Amino acid sequence: KKPLKNPNLLRLLIASPSLFSSLLFRLQSLTPGETEESYICLTSASFTVCLCELFQGKMNLVNIRDVLTSFSPALDYLALSTGDGRIKIWDTVKGQVQTEFADIASVEETNIYTSGGKGHLSVDYTCMKWLSLERKKKRKLGTSILVLGTGGGDVLALDVASGQLKWRISDCHPGGVNAVSSSTKASCIYSGGADGMVCEIDPHSGNLIRKFKASTKAVSSLSVSPDGKILATASAQLKTFKCSDLKKIQKFTGHPGGVRCVAFTEDGKFILSSAVGEKYIAVWKTDGAKKQSASCVLALEHPPVFVDSWGETDEKGLYVLAISEVGVCYFWYGSNVEELSNAKPTKVALATEDYSSLKQHKGSLPTIFAAKLQGVLKPGSANAFIASGLLVKPSFQKMVLQFGNDLVLNASKSGILLPIAQSASKSKKGQASVNRVTTLDRAHAEDALLPIARVADLHEKKSVQPQSSDKDTDMVDQSQADYVETFSMEDKLRSLGILKGTDEPSSLSYASVIDGIDLEAHLPPKKLKSAVLSMAPSTAFKTLEALVAMWQTRGCGGRYLLPWIYSIMVNHRHYIMSQEPKNQQLLNTLHKITKCRGTGLQPLLQLSGRLHLVTAQINKAAGNETQTTLHEQDIDESEDEEEEDVEEHFYGEKDNDSELSSDDGKDEDNTLMEEI
Amino acid sequence: MIRGGRSYVTSPPSFSNDAKKLLVCTGNNVSVFSAATGLQITSLEGHTAPVTTLIVVPASSAAQKILCYCWTASLDGTIRHWDFSGPELLKTVDAQVPIYSMVIPCLLSEPQQLDSSKLVAYVSVEDTSLVKEGSKELRGHIRRFNLAKERLPRGDTLKETEEPKSIVISPSGEFFGIRHKCKIHVWGVPSGGGSRNALAKKMTLHHTKVINAFAFHPTERIIAAGDVTGRVLIWRSFGNRKLALASQKKNARSMVDLDNPGVRDGDDAESCTTWHWHSAEVNVLNFSSDGAYLYSGGREGVLVVWQLVTGKKKFLPRIGSPLLYFIWSPEPTLSSVVCADNQIHLLKMPSMEISRTISGIKPPPSLPKMYEGLSSTVAFDRSSGIAALCTENYCVQLYNLLNDRGISEVQVCERNHQPGDEITVVVTAVALSLDGSVMSTTEVKLPEDGIGGLVSLKFWESEPDNKTFTLSTIVYEPHKDAGVSAIAFHPTRSMAVSTSFGGDFKIWVCNSDKSQTEKDSSWICHAVGSYKKKPMTAAAFSGDGTVLAVAAENVITLWNPVKNMLLSVLGVTLTPITKLCFVGKSEFLVAASNFPKPELSVWNTSKLSLSWSYGLRIEAVTSAVDSSTFAVLALVPKTFRKSKSKKNIFRGRDGAILLFNGSDPKPVSIWTVMKAQGGSISFLEGDKSQLRLAFVNGSHEYVVFDPSSDDTHERSAIDYEGLVGEEETGDFGYTSLYGQLPDYDKKRKEDAESLATPFISSERPWETIFSGSTLNFPPLQKLCGEFFESLMEKSNSVVE
Repeated sequence: KKPLKNPNLLRLLIASPSLFSSLLFRLQSLTPGETEESYICLTSASFTVCLCELFQGKMNLVNIRDVLTSFSPALDYLALSTGDGRIKIWDTVKGQVQTEFADIASVEETNIYTSGGKGHLSVDYTCMKWLSLERKKKRKLGTSILVLGTGGGDVLALDVASGQLKWRISDCHPGGVNAVSSSTKASCIYSGGADGMVCEIDPHSGNLIRKFKASTKAVSSLSVSPDGKILATASAQLKTFKCSDLKKIQKFTGHPGGVRCVAFTEDGKFILSSAVGEKYIAVWKTDGAKKQSASCVLALEHPPVFVDSWGETDEKGLYVLAISEVGVCYFWYGSNVEELSNAKPTKVALATEDYSSLKQHKGSLPTIFAAKLQGVLKPGSANAFIASGLLVKPSFQKMVLQFGNDLVLNASKSGILLPIAQSASKSKKGQASVNRVTTLDRAHAEDALLPIARVADLHEKKSVQPQSSDKDTDMVDQSQADYVETFSMEDKLRSLGILKGTDEPSSLSYASVIDGIDLEAHLPPKKLKSAVLSMAPSTAFKTLEALVAMWQTRGCGGRYLLPWIYSIMVNHRHYIMSQEPKNQQLLNTLHKITKCRGTGLQPLLQLSGRLHLVTAQINKAAGNETQTTLHEQDIDESEDEEEEDVEEHFYGEKDNDSELSSDDGKDEDNTLMEEI
Repeated sequence: MIRGGRSYVTSPPSFSNDAKKLLVCTGNNVSVFSAATGLQITSLEGHTAPVTTLIVVPASSAAQKILCYCWTASLDGTIRHWDFSGPELLKTVDAQVPIYSMVIPCLLSEPQQLDSSKLVAYVSVEDTSLVKEGSKELRGHIRRFNLAKERLPRGDTLKETEEPKSIVISPSGEFFGIRHKCKIHVWGVPSGGGSRNALAKKMTLHHTKVINAFAFHPTERIIAAGDVTGRVLIWRSFGNRKLALASQKKNARSMVDLDNPGVRDGDDAESCTTWHWHSAEVNVLNFSSDGAYLYSGGREGVLVVWQLVTGKKKFLPRIGSPLLYFIWSPEPTLSSVVCADNQIHLLKMPSMEISRTISGIKPPPSLPKMYEGLSSTVAFDRSSGIAALCTENYCVQLYNLLNDRGISEVQVCERNHQPGDEITVVVTAVALSLDGSVMSTTEVKLPEDGIGGLVSLKFWESEPDNKTFTLSTIVYEPHKDAGVSAIAFHPTRSMAVSTSFGGDFKIWVCNSDKSQTEKDSSWICHAVGSYKKKPMTAAAFSGDGTVLAVAAENVITLWNPVKNMLLSVLGVTLTPITKLCFVGKSEFLVAASNFPKPELSVWNTSKLSLSWSYGLRIEAVTSAVDSSTFAVLALVPKTFRKSKSKKNIFRGRDGAILLFNGSDPKPVSIWTVMKAQGGSISFLEGDKSQLRLAFVNGSHEYVVFDPSSDDTHERSAIDYEGLVGEEETGDFGYTSLYGQLPDYDKKRKEDAESLATPFISSERPWETIFSGSTLNFPPLQKLCGEFFESLMEKSNSVVE
């Protein structure tokens, strides 16, 4: 009896009660495998409970362990088998099913087994690999075959283009084929199975070339280096062989269970491997000692089911791509192994916002289930081809993976059979989308820009041209500038550094600093003092800076600013003085401002005096009141300035004093303390 | 280099004996498809000209069904024998004249005793020796060849016609015939194989209308013929007198005096019945393999099945395109219909369901006269290598040039396409933005009796992973009543410009409102501009998108597209400009004008002056985004092509792709191409920063190649020297279809050494005329005249 590993078949058996007994019988013969635990459970007493667990586990958890995928060499097709014995070939360009293969094996078998027509469910594929065959004559249209291993131990090759079985080796590995692999040139295929043997197969004819015992346990995975010289087989232990004479080169131990995926790097210097249930990928060096431990370990959140790599350790750097059991794609990059081991993976996942709405669709959540690195754009970013979505309707996209930037893909819901209620709403949506088309009629150009003519006509331009011939180079520059530059003078000045772009942000910051102080309000000196004292010295200093700047830029009248400045300088002078370098500058500017304002004071006073005189005379002569008010306003303003400046003079002196003699300050401070 | 988009429908396909493979003539090759998957399995490569006939050697017994032999005949004058399972070429027979059609009767009549020494073929050839002397000669010959010999003598001529005709053979192999205007000539194949003296006997059937297709019944003496008006005629028991075999002679004589209903002019047939259903010409006629049914089809795109005895009909409607061929396979459940839109449908037979379709690029739409040459029906997405092509059924087909596979179709107009209907709507232009996310189309609803014409402009947007476009905005009458002459997209922003013959151009921008989602974006008119009310004929954005060049008839206006400000005006060309293109990031602008005087001119926008120009008729211009190279597709004038020394270079090619580098008027390299009329070129810059040039010709075949690759250059030199006359090996697929002109540079250097001044009349004055400073150029009129005069002179001198 062939062992039974196909979960779907199992389900069928369970569904019909008469088969329970045979099921129990068959479960004895189960080979150790990944789903072993759940099956063994069945034999225990709590039969139904376990059944429920099995079904629920299947339904709720996204799991792509049972999904076999393989891209065609040119990445234009994806072969997908979801464990029901059918292989769907998806056209990645169109996003449609190209062909579906069901029952290929049994078609050939019918004449042998009289029962015949066992249906596709009787076949369970365990591994799949799409190879392109090398031809002796160089033809453009190289043939490619899909090599499949079955749980029954057969190895099949399918010619996808013609849709026919190319060859078949029956019972190649009694107990089941676990892995097939070949080098990029596909000179020969290697298959490994539960019997621990590795078979070398001619891809053209399907003849068995060699067979050897790789391990005493079942070979769970194997891989051939890209140059076709080294073969790596794995059970729990990883072994490498020379392909030419099948001599053992190295042995790597460390994986606790059967290794699920093995892959070589492009230069063949490293092997990536991961075992069932392990949440990491181990990287092993091939050209080292006979026995060694992993040279680095890449951790994931879930056990990986697929590993791919690109690049070399020498120049290009190493790129590793893996897909975890839950359908999340991980991507690592490092220029060498040390860097790789420290690298944090970049994740590509599907958006899960509509998790709840999808949950009712039999738990088939959209996942990423196949990916392939295509090439490297620049260090740290690579092209990848990703198949994602639901298994019933995958979508394919080529994307750039930038190391360090996690990506979230949009999951499309196409392919789901929606319940009626939802479909109704969807059809409404569809109508809405039709309505969304904007329609413009003849009047569409009413608020469009009309042309601005700079060159009125040709004659004008002709008059320009002779000059241009004189000064060719100048014209080039000018016109170049006209065409290439956008027409913002400001931008250009900014770029030249003439215009400092710092005005706005700084004023903003001032505003933020002064926030909370009502400058306009006339506070009595005591209140002002307490407000200033309540400030922390550092904020006070900042406030001072802001105030000085405001005064300098005339952002606010000096009448309001100066009491504050004075108060801060008096009350926080220690701190101000401790901020020596900045402080010096600040005080200098303050000094300068006061000085220049001071020099303007005398002429202003004179002016105001004269104006007073003139207005008085005019008033006397004509008695025109409006004018006087005007002038009075002027006078008021000038008076304002006077006041400020006078004050400033006074404060300024004070300020200088305080700088010169700290004792004074101390005294004052003491007095202040006393007051408080 | 990738070639593709070839027509699958030039000649009837054929099933292999096990009905698992379908052999299709694709240009110079025969492609073998799997009937089960519709994928190409292999191809037979070797012919150097299009393959015209494909005959699969039939299997006589079940055991032979696995044999995969076939005969092919091609316009290159060879007949080849293949094993297509291999694929391997077994034998080549050189007939020396182009073969248009071939039948091998003895394969069908006596397959058991197939003796290769007695293999006789009847071929329809074109006598090329008579081509030049006048059109009245009868160039089409029907000849008899013995395929046993390696080289064939002239062969016995059975019939001469004006044009080479296709030969139809009866499934039994007893008769073959050709249609000639209103007549069908039928020959009976002499029995007993290949005795040389036994010439075929001939008879003729007459009709009043031109016959379009006919077929023989597999077992009985019945001929079915379809004429141009859609009638199907059935002649029964033809050839009783004239083609009678020895044993039947007595019977035949007795029947002479009978009155034969429906038979014309005393033709040799017992009766003639007429069936009416088709409204237009009948293209397809074929009897079912058992002879019980007759399949007919025509322009309506409906396959009609007639029960031969009763005349009852069954239909397969809505195929959507005129039918060209119907063939059945050895498997009774499988047959195939070939349509004019480059699709081969495999039918599940008794139910007539289309089970699978092998499809290629759809052919370009047939535009009304007034839109010819004005429309731009091909657009390219440079990054992904996708071409958007307008098709007959109001769709835009998105085709991946790199994979040679169709992606999707976008229905542009909401109306059903019925082949044969009068065309009322024409899609005149399609354009794609640089990143391929936005497509714009224009369509014209043709006015009926001068009323009701409507121009509309549509913007389509696509989501990145979704490969289809959805309609975003429709603009009715974008330029009042005037037609849209060109659409161009801004390289970086979502901005487009449309120009019209009505004298204005409009800049459209996408306003994606922030409050709404991304999908709700719509396009609105941003600016309107015009220049002296002149018709705007072409538009292009500069490489960085800061300058918009719009051709106002024969001046080029430069605009700031954002502020809609006229920056300057570039000088005057002689004729209206039809194409504009900025050269990458450099300051050069290429302008092409066609009518009445063709001209390719390159302008320096920084000096606002003409840099150089050629008198070439330009079909398409493209420039690379990053470098300063640009390529033009030029139609080579006939006079130039026909001159004797050039003939071996052009070999029937009517166009050339010239690659220029920036301001240098000397082309970097030149390739000659076929069917350049209506063609289109574009640079593709996808992955690996590799620059490739894609050329789609007038019948939507395409080639993608690397313009800088060395091997094509070398081959060009070889080709020119005539060292490789006819490639026998067939490896040079590229040169066989698209050969190359030599590098002009090499020649010019030699000439430049010998000639100091450019205007001394040398043997090749046209080569030196353009060298030297552009300032020294003679006026353009003189230059063009001189250029072509020199060509003319030269050809004359050679002839003399």
